[in-house]
Amino acid sequence: MGEASLVDKQAVINITGFCKRYKKKLAVNAVDLTIQRGEIYGLIGPDGAGKSSLMKAIAGVLSFEQGTLDVLGVTIDSEASAEKIKGRLGFMPQGLGLNLYGDLSVEENIDFFAQLREVQPEQLDQRKDKLLGMTRLDKFRERPMKNLSGGMKQKLGLICTLIHQPELVILDEPTTGVDPVSRRDFWAILAELLQEHNITALVSTAYMDEAARFNRLSLMYNGQILAAGTPDAISQQAKGCLIELTAEPQLEALKQLKIHYLQIETIGSRIRVFADNTSVNAGVKTVTDLLAGVKIKTIRAFDAALEDSFIALLRQRPLTDQTQKDNSIPRFDKPLPDDKSIAIEAKQLTRDFGKFRSVDHINFSVKQGEIFGLLGANGAGKTTAIKMLTGILPPSEGEGQVAGADMRKAGQLIKERIGYMSQAFSLYLDLTVMENIRLFASIYGVDRKTLKQRIDWVINIAGLAEVIGQLAGSLPMGIRQRLALGCALIHQPGVLFLDEPTSGVDPIGRRQFWDILVHLARVEQVAILVTTHYMTEAEHCDHLVLMYAGRVIADDTPTTMIESLQNEAGQLLEITTDKPLQALTLLEKENFKGVALFGKHIHLLALDVKRVKKQISELLTKHSIKLLEITAQTPTLEDVFVYRVLALENKELT
Amino acid sequence: MNYHAFLLWWSRTFTMTIKELKQLIRDPVLLLIIAYFFTIDVYMAGSGINLSLRNASIMAIDHDHSPASRELIYRFRPPYFDFKGDISGKNEAEERLNKGQILAVLDIPENFQRHLLQGQAETVQFQVDTSNTVLGTLATTYAMQITADFGRDFVGKQTGLNSDTMEALPVIQNRYRVLYNPNRIDSWFMSIMELLTVITMLSMMLPAAAAVREKERGTIEQLAVSPLSSLQILLPKVISMGLVILFGVAVCLFLIIIPLFHLPVKGSISLFFAVTALYVFTASGIGLFIATISQSLGQVTMLVILLMMPILLLSGAWAPPETMPHAMYLAMTVSPLYYYNEMTYAILLKGAGIDILWDSILELSGLGVVFFNFGIWHFRRQF
Repeated sequence: MGEASLVDKQAVINITGFCKRYKKKLAVNAVDLTIQRGEIYGLIGPDGAGKSSLMKAIAGVLSFEQGTLDVLGVTIDSEASAEKIKGRLGFMPQGLGLNLYGDLSVEENIDFFAQLREVQPEQLDQRKDKLLGMTRLDKFRERPMKNLSGGMKQKLGLICTLIHQPELVILDEPTTGVDPVSRRDFWAILAELLQEHNITALVSTAYMDEAARFNRLSLMYNGQILAAGTPDAISQQAKGCLIELTAEPQLEALKQLKIHYLQIETIGSRIRVFADNTSVNAGVKTVTDLLAGVKIKTIRAFDAALEDSFIALLRQRPLTDQTQKDNSIPRFDKPLPDDKSIAIEAKQLTRDFGKFRSVDHINFSVKQGEIFGLLGANGAGKTTAIKMLTGILPPSEGEGQVAGADMRKAGQLIKERIGYMSQAFSLYLDLTVMENIRLFASIYGVDRKTLKQRIDWVINIAGLAEVIGQLAGSLPMGIRQRLALGCALIHQPGVLFLDEPTSGVDPIGRRQFWDILVHLARVEQVAILVTTHYMTEAEHCDHLVLMYAGRVIADDTPTTMIESLQNEAGQLLEITTDKPLQALTLLEKENFKGVALFGKHIHLLALDVKRVKKQISELLTKHSIKLLEITAQTPTLEDVFVYRVLALENKELT
Repeated sequence: MNYHAFLLWWSRTFTMTIKELKQLIRDPVLLLIIAYFFTIDVYMAGSGINLSLRNASIMAIDHDHSPASRELIYRFRPPYFDFKGDISGKNEAEERLNKGQILAVLDIPENFQRHLLQGQAETVQFQVDTSNTVLGTLATTYAMQITADFGRDFVGKQTGLNSDTMEALPVIQNRYRVLYNPNRIDSWFMSIMELLTVITMLSMMLPAAAAVREKERGTIEQLAVSPLSSLQILLPKVISMGLVILFGVAVCLFLIIIPLFHLPVKGSISLFFAVTALYVFTASGIGLFIATISQSLGQVTMLVILLMMPILLLSGAWAPPETMPHAMYLAMTVSPLYYYNEMTYAILLKGAGIDILWDSILELSGLGVVFFNFGIWHFRRQF
């Protein structure tokens, strides 16, 4: 961080040697940070890394012990000095719509914040119209905030933060719990607004794939900055490459590779390995040589994206105590029958709430041993579908089979045979880890003879040995979710329902979580139905269903979904220019498909790659924008999701 | 239900009950509140509030300044009255009454003594601040009594009768015996009444709070997909909170009411606890209903306060049922506190046993079953 050491008069935020302590715990430790005017600066890191503490201190709402903190040219050293800059910045705390008032309408919320900030009435009307128009919330002016979807709440939060036109906005995880379409929308609006008024933004996120949206970013871990710079520069700091292969038999290949590599995961039929200190060229050979008695079907090596780099960086520096965990995850004490029978089946399932149809005649089936992903925007009906299948909510129409029992008739039987984990952490925060496990063991009627063995098994599979006596409320998010999973597994069910289990969990925590899920499906033949907003997680699923407005709009494997998008809309082009925002406006005007801004890059979809490339290059030259690079890539699941949902949204609008 | 399923059912209910108790123990604020209600609150009600006339301040406008007028004024003395001195005239009297400095004014006309000596009828005026009806009425009654005694004694002296010869006159004397609370100690009535109020409030509040807390934190969803029935989710809350309340009642009775107010327990303490348990169960049914329609602890509290008023009003503690309008009289028959109130005083002060109270017990049980099932039924419907 060469640039941080110089005191920069132009910088909006200038921090040196910042420390924050909560009682004995050091939350932020000696952080240096400089943010320039007009930048979108990202803070990425797991829970408890110190992101929120740092952001609150910058916003002037948290005192700190050590270091200097200059914000907008004012040195923050007292409450009085913090007061001076409060009018010039906007702060949006973590949590969906937490800073808003649920019973006030969209417009009343905006008016309230404007009055708080003493915005003149004429200016307010003008800004309000513009912001509501941009966020497409103008149709919902009268709607109470609590009835908005997650994405809409966050957009309203953004409007309320920006209504007094601050010079600096601080957004703490604004996209957590928001679906990919709304997320993309949020970023587009943010980029446009910031550009227009030359606002600087400091944003934190738990989604690694959003890192590309930032101009520069810092990776935080344990109160320290692990790496800082542009997204590309950070990716390159982790020495090594990613190797992706498909092999038969997969489990054997996995077992052999785990001996040599710490960072390894399976994604559907693929195995992905991060090989430290190995170049892309040597990667394929190194891995091939390690495997014996395994048939390698495909193998390729490439540079890691930020998420894998982040995990690799953590491992390569001796910051974590990530000792090699025991590879053998304990087995069920009563293994499920190894058959591929149908575990979950929905037939014409429908649910109405008054006049509103939340779920509209959906059909799908999940086999034993399959990981099934249910995707959709906030409010698409995923949670309602799960509630019906788990027997909490009676369906208005249709039927379903779960774990061999009829959903409408044998609700009690189903409840005994399934495990369930809900969106929000739903265990008792004022009970210890052990007490929670024991409580659920008793609720699920685990008999006394197997009780001790079963509790040990849960502690083992969820990796809870070190926190057994702590109150659940004191645990970080990642471990809490593993505890919730452990409790859902106490009776070793054949079917598992997980409703956004990893929302708000950091990448390392998510990976550990998915390791357990993959094991359960592959080894124990558990059928897993999962919903998620993380598209990198959706890749783990064997089968995906995409829901929109209560209907199933796509039902396929992830690979086929991507392939069919390629057939329909083509490849993904990543365009790098010297003036990304002008280029973006230009490309949007020319009606290219799926244009979106990712930091300095622009993404769009093109069927005829060659022709489009030529078209773009001509167009940009004509407007004297320099085209630095244009590459074709395979679209990701997020592209599939956004493309499909937007297509339907547009159809409904016309 | 076979034996195994029965065991499982109870083992689940038992662990859930333990869970509730653990959660309560880890909530120091709530524990403090409960402790306060069963000790300090009841003590204050028993020792502080007094329904009899004590040291009521009184002043006099004495236009006569005679031995007779002074004799009359002298009779307004502690413990009932506290004579604060003379005042000049009506204006000052009115002012002092308006300001609430004194409770009553005694106005003695000129020639008071002369008229009496001449054997003429004489009147004195007694002005009373009756904004507090109880005190006002008591003051008036006592004043009437004092003046009547004075008149009788005065006449007696005139006619040359002394106190001994007075006895020989044919006068009807009103002799009464006070039953159950012979010294008419208000603290007995007040502390028990307060204890009943506390029990009523906490029996609704604690199970409702425990249930709505699960809603607020989202844990209710996890329980709803588990093999627990609605009854199994709710019953442990009622059992655990009921145990806490019974414990509180024991503390209150044995550490506050009996030793500090010297309440003589006439009836069976165990019968009292059994009736209390029955009442807690009934009131918690209302609590569960409150929990169903509330979304937060704040709403629960507001609803409990809202319901407390009519429940207390219809309890029969402040006004006997016969004085109520007919509609309210009918409402009292479905008010659980009415039965519980009646039985509590009957057991503790009158020493009534199950042989007398069986019909009230049956009626309270009936209400309990109805209220509790209504609570459970409503809870089940919300999903």
